[in-house]
Amino acid sequence: MSAIFLVARRDYLAYVGAWGFWLSLILAPLLMAALMFAPLLLARAEPPRVLAVLAERAEDAATVTAAFRDLARRDARREIAAYLDAAAPAVAAEAKQAFDAATDRAAAIAAARAVVAERMPQALRAFPAPSPRYIIVDPPAGAVEALRPYLDGSQLLPDGGNLYGALNIRRSAGEPLIEYWSVNLSHDEPSNIARAAMRMAMQREALAAHGLDPAEADRLNALEPRVAQFDPRPAAGGEQVTVRDRAPFYAAIALAFILWSVVFSVANMLLTGVIEEKSNKILDTLLTSVTPLEMLIGKLLGVAAVSATLFLFWGALGGGLLSLAAEQASVSIFGQVAAAFLEPRLLITFGVGFVAGYLMYGAIFLALGSLCESIQEAQTLLGPVALVLAMPMMLITPALDNPNAPIIEAASWIPLFTPFLLLIRAPAGLSWFEIAGQGALMLLAVALVLFLAARLFKAGVVNQLSVSTLFRRKAKG
Amino acid sequence: MNAALEAEGLVKRYGVRTAVDDLSFSVPRGAIYGVLGPNGAGKSTTLRMLVGVLRPTAGKIALLGGPVTRQTLQRVGYLPEERGLYRGMSARAAIAYLARLKGVASRQAFKRADQLLSDHGLGQVRRKKIKTLSKGMAQKVQVLAAIAHEPDLIIFDEPFSGLDPVNQRVLEETIRAQAAAGRTILFSTHVMEHAERLCDRILLIANGRKAFEGTVRDALALAPSLAVIETDGAYDIAPVLAPRGFEWTEEQGEHGNRRWRVRLKNGHGARQLLAACVEAGAPLTLFEPARASLHEAFVALVGEDGARAAQ
Repeated sequence: MSAIFLVARRDYLAYVGAWGFWLSLILAPLLMAALMFAPLLLARAEPPRVLAVLAERAEDAATVTAAFRDLARRDARREIAAYLDAAAPAVAAEAKQAFDAATDRAAAIAAARAVVAERMPQALRAFPAPSPRYIIVDPPAGAVEALRPYLDGSQLLPDGGNLYGALNIRRSAGEPLIEYWSVNLSHDEPSNIARAAMRMAMQREALAAHGLDPAEADRLNALEPRVAQFDPRPAAGGEQVTVRDRAPFYAAIALAFILWSVVFSVANMLLTGVIEEKSNKILDTLLTSVTPLEMLIGKLLGVAAVSATLFLFWGALGGGLLSLAAEQASVSIFGQVAAAFLEPRLLITFGVGFVAGYLMYGAIFLALGSLCESIQEAQTLLGPVALVLAMPMMLITPALDNPNAPIIEAASWIPLFTPFLLLIRAPAGLSWFEIAGQGALMLLAVALVLFLAARLFKAGVVNQLSVSTLFRRKAKG
Repeated sequence: MNAALEAEGLVKRYGVRTAVDDLSFSVPRGAIYGVLGPNGAGKSTTLRMLVGVLRPTAGKIALLGGPVTRQTLQRVGYLPEERGLYRGMSARAAIAYLARLKGVASRQAFKRADQLLSDHGLGQVRRKKIKTLSKGMAQKVQVLAAIAHEPDLIIFDEPFSGLDPVNQRVLEETIRAQAAAGRTILFSTHVMEHAERLCDRILLIANGRKAFEGTVRDALALAPSLAVIETDGAYDIAPVLAPRGFEWTEEQGEHGNRRWRVRLKNGHGARQLLAACVEAGAPLTLFEPARASLHEAFVALVGEDGARAAQ
């Protein structure tokens, strides 16, 4: 026991004494925050895309231009509404009403802002300044051919900007034909917006031809049912599904990702650690005082303590911030998501998943490390293991759609995936059979992996088995 | 029981290859015992089996009167052939860590580490990390780590390799000091001179098998006696020696002379050799009966071919 403690203690001190540990400790939360907010910031930082609309008929140009104007207004409303729901829920309804009452986009934003300024000025500091996705400019030339230099970037617009794309709406036998010109071939959203707008115009024209008032036609087009989602389970209480109900799913996926990253990182630490010891030629010295099994357990405990230190720091930091946010759970979306992260059921599943995942992958990585003489050699073995480890992450997308999809359910019975998928599926509700069955299978797998890894580790650390001898045997065989 | 270590019928096989074959020997308590043989003879494999790193395919080992267990190994100090320490640890921490693994209390382990480093001229670098020490210094630290827990039996695998002549002498002194303190020392080497200078008893191994076990004196007695003669200038003494049945090897002499190392057998003693040289009028500048070396004893035991094959 004392030998295990000494091995664990030395490994722990060696890791926490390295500057890389402190870098991970501090950088990981920052990187995580960057990962979460970077797409949003990038989207905001991107300037509006400039489009030109050419049309044989002036009313077609007006229709398409209006569609882009409406889109910009809808985007602005969505962004402001999301902010108000999260940061100023008390005035959200009134501000949205003021937005809707205004005629144009700029006036609508100003009206919503005015409500917040008057009723909750402290929420004004981070009030969004939405930027439109597209700006429609007057075409610098009257024909597509003449627009080509602007579109391929060889000529700039009079204001010095680039022309992103051009919509040319022609008429063929009276029917509209939309041509979209742009060098950005993979992005066709502008043509879809124009098509939807022109389809509505065509429907309005057709209905008018049958004597229907265009205003009435617009009213008919705007008809849309209201949709409400419900959870049939008794615990859900029969109320409409809201962000509060969905939040645990998002939290579970985020936690599964964190679990996966940490397991992979610390298992890698074990691998490189044992390779370093082999290359330092220290193992023979240790093996007269410590059995290979004690060394394996000591190393697993040492790095588990490193992980515990990371979790304590991140947990204290993240838990504190989440607790603060969770206090606003009754009024804010952020608070509801934060509260979901602190759900005991999820945290317990995370803890159990970490222990099982760490022991399984940690032992495998240790055993692999003991067979290798260098990092390069380890990389040849790590490829297939990394693929296995990546598989649960590949299942995140289908799990987002349906955590109880057959493929997710089946995969969660594979012990190497169970820690991650059990966590992802936890908010959807698991049967006792699944919890007991998968838990028992996972325990068995942990025991089996530890047993096999200990045998491999023992053969590896005394140089009786190595990657090169394995390959030699295979070649001979 | 007088033996610190006894091995009986030790065998180690790797697949079809036999690294150690039916090896039996006994190390008396308090002795300095050398395991000798060329590279690849099976010395390290034998030592690794003795300290429990490798499990023998067959055979028995009695270590300090008992089987190879954690308890007995706590009383053994071991310096492996492939050595190294944690590069990020200080010299004193490395010694103390290995002593603690052998059951020494923390405070005592650090105290002994400081004392040993100071006694061996490394007091100034005790807080320096292993990676900043020279190779020789790091090797000294590892030797000290092997003895810091004051073991009853010390096993060193090729302890002199990698050390310069000065440090080799220092290590010889350390080994003698440990023996004087009542400890049993077993070390392996392929350099016979160290064994000749240090050992009470030796074990010669060739191709995994025991070629000899006994005292150095007994081993040397097995080797033929020698005489070294030197002749002036280019004089060739071969026509004098050959008809009389002497065997010899020629070496480079001093000052342009030719030197001959002549093997003396029964009936061809030093007196007969000298008489033959005088009778032939050979211009002798040196005639010196010489003591055979352990290498020559080894060659005598396994034959030139065996020694060459082992190498």
